Amino acid sequence: MTARVLDRESGRSEQKWGRRSLWSLLLLVPLALAIEAYDSVKALLSDDDLFPRRVAWGETARFGGSDWKLTDLRGAFGMSNLPPDSVPVLADFQVKIGNPDLQNLWLGCRIMLIDKDGRRWSPTSIVSLKTTDNVQTCISAIFSGAKSGDTLNLRETFLVPKEATKTIQPAVGVASERPHFLLFQLEKD
Amino acid sequence: MTRKLANIILLFVAVSLCYGLQVSKPRYGDLIGPIPSRGRLGDTVVGRSFEVRVEKVKFAHNLKVDRFGEAKILTTGGVWAVVTVEFAARAQSMTVAVASWRGPTGLTYDQTERLSFTDGLLPVAVDPGLPKKARLIFEMRPAEASNANLLISEKLMSALDSQAEISLGPVATGSDGLPAGTVEMLDMTQPI
Repeated sequence: MTARVLDRESGRSEQKWGRRSLWSLLLLVPLALAIEAYDSVKALLSDDDLFPRRVAWGETARFGGSDWKLTDLRGAFGMSNLPPDSVPVLADFQVKIGNPDLQNLWLGCRIMLIDKDGRRWSPTSIVSLKTTDNVQTCISAIFSGAKSGDTLNLRETFLVPKEATKTIQPAVGVASERPHFLLFQLEKD
Repeated sequence: MTRKLANIILLFVAVSLCYGLQVSKPRYGDLIGPIPSRGRLGDTVVGRSFEVRVEKVKFAHNLKVDRFGEAKILTTGGVWAVVTVEFAARAQSMTVAVASWRGPTGLTYDQTERLSFTDGLLPVAVDPGLPKKARLIFEMRPAEASNANLLISEKLMSALDSQAEISLGPVATGSDGLPAGTVEMLDMTQPI
């Protein structure tokens, strides 16, 4: 008699735990997937410039350990030997170095132009305009040995179609800040 | 007796099912291979990051190239195919780096590397809104000219990325076994 009661009770508790285990799967399976995917998602996000951080015209923004400021964005009209309806565009930045470890912080530095449709232009090699000696590109600045407190002048040259020049905005991305990137507003915005 | 027979039948079904699964299993290379976007000569083929349109295909015995300011003739034991294409970038600036010619028998020819300094060869950097023409040059057996496919991708290992697969259609063969319309010389120093 007692054995039967014990049996029934243990059977009931087993059933209870069985149900609990099944319900816990609802939590455990998504959790396991999330843990499994965490590294991949992190790698995917840190590979792309996804979330803009807007910088108003004339303002300075802290990015990759340094202070970035857009100083100029202008078209270089009247050049020959270019594809029809295209304009070279120069973007100038002034960067005050904070943390001088540029080889880590500025790794994968990408300066680009983004228009209202989200199209992105990378620097071109078709147009090369003469610059003064103290103007560098983002990549060359990484290896310039700049110290904390130095001010660097960066310039990148782009080739964009004429119709896009009205809405383009310069943007900067570096690996240490991805998926965030800086999006500079222009004077007129 | 019937149960035994049923078991044997079941075993056979299971074995043939497993065999079927084994032979139809896609290879790993197919699973993670490029994703084809197909089209024909003259069509605009749209991939993930670029668009491409084949304008024309020309065949030649010899190519005239410029090497460090000196004219040079490149001969071949087969035939040269010069494909004029137009690329357009979609959402962002990109580079098209790889093209190959797949003949009707499946032989695949990579782009020639004999004209390394000629303008308009791959890799070609393309910016959005600024389409750009380029030449793809292949050196191949004449028998591979007809019903060929042109494969174009952004980079060599285009795993899970789109690859334009453009069918170039039939090409008539002349009495000498070469594609009809094969010219003696094509001048690669001319702008595209």
